[in-house]
Formats: sequence, structure tokens, C-alpha cells
Amino acid sequence: MFGGLWQDVRYGARILLKSPAYTAIAVAVLALSIGANTAVFSAVNTLLLRPLPLKDLDRLVLNQVLREGFDPYESSLLELQAFQQRSHSFVSIGAARQRSFNLIGRGEPERIRGASIAADYLTTLGVKPILGRSFSGQEDQPGGAAVALISYSFWQKHFGGNASAVGETLNLERRSYTIVGVMPQGFDLPAAADIWVPLQVNIDSVPLNERAAFGYEIVARLRPGISLEQADAESKSIARQLEQEFPQLRRGWTVTLIWLRQALLGDYAGRVNKALVALMGGVGFLLLICCANVANLQLARGIGRTRELALRRALGASRSRLVRQLLTESTLLALLGGIGGLLLAHWIVPLLAAINPIQGISLADYFRNFNIDGRVLIFALCVTLATGILFGLVPALKSAGEREVMPSLRQGDQHSASAPGHGWLNILIVAEIAVAMTLLVGGALFVRSFNRLQHVDLGFRPDRLLTLKMILQESKYSEHRQRVAFVDQVVERVKNLPGVLSAGTTTNIPLEREITYDAVFSVEGRPPPNPKDVPITANRLVSPDYLKTVGVTLIKGRLINETDRAGRPPIVVISEELARQAWPGKDPLGKRIKRVRPGQDFPWMTVIGVIKDVKEDLFNYRINRPVWYVPYAQVENNFPVNLVVRTSGDPASLTTAIREAIHAVDPDQSISNVMTMNENLARVLVTERFSAILMSVLAASGLLLAALGLYGVMAYSVSRRTTEIGVRVALGARRLHVLRLILGQGAKLTLLGTAIGLAAAWGLTRLLVSLLFEVNASDPVTFVSISLLLISVGLIACFLPTRRALSVDPMIALRAE
Amino acid sequence: MNSTELIATEQTNASNGNGAAPLIRLSGVTKVFLTDEVETHALSGIHLDIREGEYVSIAGPSGCGKTTLLSILGLLDTPSGGSYALKGNEVANLSFAERARVRNREIGFIFQSFNLIGDLSVFENVELPLTYRGMSASDRKALVTEALERVGMAHRAKHLPSQLSGGQQQRVAVARALAGRPAILLADEPTGNLDSRNGEAVMNLLGELHQGGATICMVTHDERFAQHADRTVHLFDGRIVEDRMAA
Ligand SMILES: Nc1ncnc2c1ncn2[C@@H]1O[C@H](COP(=O)(O)OP(=O)(O)OP(=O)(O)O)[C@@H](O)[C@H]1O
Ligand SMILES: [Mg+2]
Repeated sequence: MFGGLWQDVRYGARILLKSPAYTAIAVAVLALSIGANTAVFSAVNTLLLRPLPLKDLDRLVLNQVLREGFDPYESSLLELQAFQQRSHSFVSIGAARQRSFNLIGRGEPERIRGASIAADYLTTLGVKPILGRSFSGQEDQPGGAAVALISYSFWQKHFGGNASAVGETLNLERRSYTIVGVMPQGFDLPAAADIWVPLQVNIDSVPLNERAAFGYEIVARLRPGISLEQADAESKSIARQLEQEFPQLRRGWTVTLIWLRQALLGDYAGRVNKALVALMGGVGFLLLICCANVANLQLARGIGRTRELALRRALGASRSRLVRQLLTESTLLALLGGIGGLLLAHWIVPLLAAINPIQGISLADYFRNFNIDGRVLIFALCVTLATGILFGLVPALKSAGEREVMPSLRQGDQHSASAPGHGWLNILIVAEIAVAMTLLVGGALFVRSFNRLQHVDLGFRPDRLLTLKMILQESKYSEHRQRVAFVDQVVERVKNLPGVLSAGTTTNIPLEREITYDAVFSVEGRPPPNPKDVPITANRLVSPDYLKTVGVTLIKGRLINETDRAGRPPIVVISEELARQAWPGKDPLGKRIKRVRPGQDFPWMTVIGVIKDVKEDLFNYRINRPVWYVPYAQVENNFPVNLVVRTSGDPASLTTAIREAIHAVDPDQSISNVMTMNENLARVLVTERFSAILMSVLAASGLLLAALGLYGVMAYSVSRRTTEIGVRVALGARRLHVLRLILGQGAKLTLLGTAIGLAAAWGLTRLLVSLLFEVNASDPVTFVSISLLLISVGLIACFLPTRRALSVDPMIALRAE
Repeated sequence: MNSTELIATEQTNASNGNGAAPLIRLSGVTKVFLTDEVETHALSGIHLDIREGEYVSIAGPSGCGKTTLLSILGLLDTPSGGSYALKGNEVANLSFAERARVRNREIGFIFQSFNLIGDLSVFENVELPLTYRGMSASDRKALVTEALERVGMAHRAKHLPSQLSGGQQQRVAVARALAGRPAILLADEPTGNLDSRNGEAVMNLLGELHQGGATICMVTHDERFAQHADRTVHLFDGRIVEDRMAA
């Protein structure tokens, strides 16, 4: 058995070496598609499959509170306690609250991402410190010791990886914390944290308002045998109880559970998952095209080898023996293609990682590392073997399967255009064109959708804007007027820098990937018609020049100016969408609106201006959410302060000058997230960009392969039909007739493939609906233009063979023996 | 030798000289093939007239230029020198499309290897040259049926060439050649791929066509078949060495 196999392998290798051009083309085509498959699978592997430094990740869920029909918020202690007391779906529940610390005393003042965590947080995730210990129950009680855990990278950076770090102290927010442990390498949950401190709250003693305040991330580990759906259903029923118990706080709210892995990708809408599935479908299609292509090459060659194979059968080789021989040959070819594909993937994978498709920021070391690991290798091997069988089977059965031996032996005597396998060439090429069509339509829809998303009206002008974030230390700026004074001074200094056109501050930069602040509002004289309806707006507290600086479009009234200070009548500038929701069909100018929050009283604010909608909210990018802008000075708050500077030249060149201006006001002030607005925006559409780029590359490759395939089939057909064409010309066929003959054949194949592809695309693109933005999945423009593109490319592919056909010398009719 | 040839040609002309222009007139036709800087003089100084209704056979040893001569007569190839008038019209300056038109209307080819198109039925094969004329379907049908009946293959109209014997295939090829009522039938070794019985049948068919008034020019090796013609032109080394009327 193995002896026979070895013989087959040796013979196969000899056959492949005998036609090096054929072998090279087939290997290149195979390498291209196996490489593409492997590369995309490495992304899928990294993002969806590979283990992360968390125990049994596939049992971990994230709990999010949301308004029906809205994107998720974070959770609160209210939900945490309710789940702890009432839920039966979880083994353990943990909570963390993102915070950032000003670290002083270790080099330049630095803002460090961190979190306050309940002790259960780490046990729920299944993570233990690699050095030292975790927090004790005592330390997590109110008034417990000031202790901290540090990340591996923080440990490396600040302590050089020295074990003596445990026991050292850190000066955070002017308080001294003792380091009790170092977390494992790569672990940085939640939100790229470097420092963890105990939460130290007793939920029962927290006032209800604070208990209901969002800002907590609740993770839970599912009990064995409980599915996500079951847990989600139970959680929703608990949310309904909360809604009844605390209507003033939770009316209209519910919760949802999503897999932690999905949350870590920043993929609250589940688009990454779908996009990756679509991409896998895309590369799978490319593989099909490639298989059809190579199968056609094999077939065309197999027809040439018909005599050899018939002879072998005449000499007593069984049919299965011949099939095995031919399959060995194709597997050998596929293995060569597989090796080429792996090399190609090795080169593509870093490119994929560079156009990073995810919005999450945690575990970057894991999610940004699209390397080729064992799983990817196994996948590549399976794809390779499947490919070998897939493209080898039809030619093998076809070539070895002729029942009669004699006709094949006599075949050489016949001057006839039809030969066994000829019909298969056509079937395969039609299939190839159909698949390419589907792929192209998918790619075009993704690109159009991405294009629409990119050209969405942001409501401001992002060019030449520099942004940076400052967290004011509570200890230093305990009163709001101190913060206002700081902001005023910084803006004043920055405004006067050369190259600066204007400057302002806001509490959230539009579309940034940070905690964003919203507010529930109430309209004077208009209680919401539906008591369940709790209207929400994005809440931005801005300095006088901010709106002018980012370049919003004023529709009516005026923008905030220097006169709108503390003590002056409270005012607000609202977006069109807020105007529409609050005063539908009426003029909002002069009307009053206010923030509502249980236990707190906010003043009525008079609307002084309406501006065009601004995209403020990363996760609501696809819709227009209401937003209001309130003078920073008029509302007591300790939100982060983001400086936004419009420059006349390259904004990045002013970074140093702006830093100096800030440090001139407060040398201890930490500065972070220094970037241009465009850099910030580049992160908004990462998933869409990733799928648009990849899908169009795949579609282009598919088109190229299909065109090559069509060219091959047509060239082969013309070469087979040379005598026939000569006879036709001898009989008086003119150029037009020959042109019609060949182009007609090509056009028939192309049109049939396009038609089948249209039908397939029509069905399949429906699955893309949730990924598309303002583009219909059966968008007629896309379907028509892609059909035209494919048909033109098909005709171009027929051009050379047609030219060859036109130059056939009719003498061949006389000379052919 | 040169003088004999000339005389022979003139004799032919004289013997047929009834004043009207011949169907075909070749004067001083030469054909030189250039391959790898080697010149092959396939034809030199060919003078040949063929009149309407004649049945000419061209004979000679292998490589003497028979096929080359036929290809020039059939406008498949152009002479290197000399002139060729068909029905009194010079064909040297015809365009590609005009040559195709002339081939299609005036010439009927019968090939040694039949050259039927395997994907087309017998009927469609015979119809093919007519379709290049842009003739209406009903006219085509009439001509094709007539031609097939003529060669006795009407009952096989729907068959594919691969379902026919060699002799039958060649009869279909003859039908294809005569369906369009060409001025002349050109046949290159029409019996070359046939056994003697089938060969005889095809030769009888050509004889009948000739009786019916067709002009035929046929290349053949076979002395016995050459007898069917009423005039035999002998080529040797690209020259006409004998031009003899049958007794
Ligand atoms: N395309 C060509 N290129 C070069 N030489 C050619 C070409 N066609 C024919 N010849 C040469 O011209 C001469 C005449 O060839 P032709 O085919 O006319 O001979 P033939 O009389 O038909 O021979 P046969 O009886 O074997 O068919 C031969 O020497 C041949 O080698
Ligand atoms: Mg010849």
C-alpha cells in the first residue's frame, strides 16, 4: 500500500516537473488563496478563538445596563447587589470601576489608567498575581488599608521587574499606596489598567443615588450548564424587578449580557464577529474560485493526457488506481501551494494586524498579535488538503473514469471540438464567475457602506485640531471655581501661542473611546408623554470658545461666549436632534430645559442656540443622538478636561508649546491622549475599514482569478478549435463571424456566471444587512455596476484568445491531416 | 522543358478557345515560401486556365506544389508573383473581407480530412457557409436539403459527424461545398482518408456533379481517380509539366 503510494508520489512529482509552467501557475494560484485563507483565519483565531490570560473565557460574561433601543451603558452597584442577591446563573460576580490616577514622585507627573475593583473581580476572571498577593477581604472593606496591585508592564517600567517592588509605595492622587502584588504579563482589565486598588465600599451604606450611578463594569462567570441566553433572561427579569422597585431611577432600563470576549473587542453591537464570519466566507469563496481554476488547468491538461491514461487502463490499471494516482498529483500540487500560502500569510498577517479591526483597548498584546500559531498551521494544512481533493477530484474522476478505453485511444484521430471534460471546463468557469460575482458584490457593498460612514456629516471640522486630556487632581482643585480658573488660564495661554487659531475645552472629545457623560433631561411644561420614556442627551460642559474651535454649524441663536459665566443665567446650546425631541415642530430658542437626577436639583437652562447635529458618541456613530453644550463654569463638576486647539498649520507640531503652556499654569498637571482629531477619528471605523479593505482585496483577487480562469479556458478552447476556425474561414467566415464565435462563447460563459452570481449575491448579501450603513443589501447600483464590471473584465479576458482566433490561417484546413 | 510547358498551356487554351474569358486564369503565378532564410519555390511560372464546366485533376509527386496551387485557386493563400483572375476579375487586390466573400460564394472546398465541425449536426455543417452569406433561414433550408439529397445524406441531417463513417462524412463535406452553388469545387485528395470502396463512391459523386455542369478542380495522387477528370495537369517541382485532355 505505502510502496504504491510512494511510487505515486514519485511519479506525480515527475509529472509536475515535466510541465513547469503549468505547475508554477497552479502553485501560485493555490498559494494566493491558501495564503489569504490562512491570514484571515489568523485574525479570526486571534480575535475569536485564541485563549486569553483569563480562566475559561468562554464562561465569562459582561453585564451591561441599557435603555431599550439604546446602546449599552456601564452597570452600577445597584445591579451588582441585585445580581449578587437574586441571581442563580452565576458562580461568581465581580465589579470594577475605571479610574485614572495622577502618579507623582516617579519621574514626570503621569496619568495612569487604573481601576477600583471588588475583591471578587479577579477571582471571577480567574487571574492571580504572579508576585505577592491579591487583596484580602479586609482590605476591600470601607476604611481598609491603602494597597495596590500593579501590572506587569508597570512593574517592568518603574521597578525594572525587581521582586522588591512588592512592599514599595506609590504616590497616587497624593495618597500613599502599598504595592501588594504584580499581575501576570498582558493582563490589564478593565480598560488597559495598570494599577488596581480595592473598591472598599459597603453597598448598603452607599446613598441610593450613588448606588445607581453608572461607571461599573460587572463581570460574571456562568454556572456550569447555564447558557448565555438563560442567564440573560434571568438578568432581564431582575432588571424588571429593579424597574419596579426604583422607578425614579430605572424606569425604561434593562440589562443585557454579552460574552466578555466580545466586550473586550469593543464590539457591543456584535459587528466584529459578523464581519469576521463574512470575511471567512469571502476567503472561502476565493478558495472555491481558486479550486475551480486549478481544476480547469488540470482538466485541460488531463484532456491532453487522455491517451496516456487510456493506455494505462488498457495495460490493466484499475479505475481507483488511476484516481489515486491523479489525486496524489493534485495533493502534491496543493501541498506546494500550501507552503507558498503559509509564506504569503506570514507576510500578510502583520499587515492585517496593522489595520487593526477592533475598538477594544484591553489585552492589546493578545488582540494585536495576529501570529501564525499551531491552530493556524493546522487550519492551513486542512485547507490545503481539502483544496487538493476539491480541485483534484473532478479531473481525476473525469480523466480516469471514461468507461470505454477505445474511444479515448482513438480520440487523437478525431477532428472534433468536443472531448471528454470539455463540458466540465465550462461548468467550472461559470461557477468561478458566479462566485467572483458574489464576492465582488459583497466587497462593493462593504466599500460603499464604509464610504458612507466615512462621509457621514460629523457636525464639526476635524482637520487641524489637536486634542489632549487633563484629569484635575481632586486634592488640588477641590472647588469648582479653582477648576474654572485653571481652564481659563490654560485656554488664555494656549490661544496666544503662535500658530493657534483658537482653543477651548470640553468634558468629552467627540467620538473618543472613553467614559462619556450623558444626562437625563426634562423639558419645561412638557412631561414625557410616556412615563417609561426617560429622555437622554449627551452632556458636554464646554469653555466659551469650544464650539467655535471645533467648528460646529450654528442654525439659529448664538453660541456660548465669555458672558456665560458662573452666576449668570444658566444657558444651553442644543443640537437639532435634541430640539426635535424636546420641542417637535416648535422654535426652541428661549425655551427651558434641565437635567434631572434623583436627589439632586439642577437649574432650568434657557436655550440660546441650535446647532447642526454633532457626532459625539462612538457607539452611536450610525445615528444622531441629542447633545447639549453647557458652559463649564455654570455647572459644578469634576469631569476630565479636554483641551481642543485649532491650529493654522500641522497641529502635531504645537504639542511641546502647548504642554509648556499648561505646565506654566500647573507644573504638576498630567497630560494624556495627545493626538490630532483625525487620529482620534481613525479609530472610529476600524472594524468597517478592516472589512472594507479585506473584502475589496478578496474581491479583486477573485476577479483576477476568475478572469485568468476565463482566459485560460478561452485560450485552451481556441487552441483546440484552431482547425475548426481555419475551416470556417476557408468556407468564407469573415472576421466578424470569428469574433462572434469566440466572443460569443466567452460572453455566454460570462453572462451565465454573472446571472447565477447575481442570484447568489442577492441571497447572500442579505446576511450582511446588519453590517451595512445607508446601503441596501440589494442596492441596484452596486448590482448593476458590478455586473458591468465583471462582464467587461470577462470580455477583456477573451481578448487575447479572440485575437489568436482571428489570426488563424485558413491554410490549416488544407494542411490538417 | 520550359518551352514544352508553354506549348502545352497554349495548346490547352487553343483547344478550349471559344472566345469567352475562362473562369480561372493564372498567368505566371509563383509561390515562394520563406522559412529560416530558406526559400522554397513551391510554384514557378504557372499558367493555367480553367473554363466553366471543366473537370480538372492535378497530379504529381508529393511536395510538387499541388496543395499550394489549390490554396491559391481557393484564395486561401496569395501568390508571390503573377496574376490570378477569377471570372475575369483580378483577385490580387481584394481585402480580407472580400476574399472571404469570394471564397464563400464562388468556391466550394472539399478537404482530405473532411473537416466537418464536430459540434454541429450534418445539416448545420452544410448550412454553415450559407449563414456567412446572411441568407434567410428558409432559403438556407432549401439549399441544404437539396445538397444533402444530392449526395444521398438527407436522412442523416440530424446526426453528428462523429456518428458517420468516413465516406459519409466526405459526402456531407461535398454537400457543404456545393450547397452554395459555387463557381468551382476545389478538392484536395478527397479520397485520401477513405478506403477504395468509399473513395470510389465519392469519385462517382464528383463525376455526377460534373455531368450536372459543375466545374471541378481536384488534386489526387491516384492515377485511377485522375482518370475521372476530363483534363489532367501534371505538376513537377512547382511547374506544369503536362496538361492533357482525356481521350
Ligand atoms: N507554409 C509553408 N512554408 C514553407 N514551405 C512550404 C509551406 N507549405 C508548403 N511548403 C513547401 O512547398 C512545397 C509544396 O508543398 P505542397 O503542400 O503544395 O505539396 P503537395 O504537392 O501538396 O504535396 P503532397 O502530395 O504531399 O500533399 C513543398 O516543398 C513544401 O515543403
Ligand atoms: Mg498536398
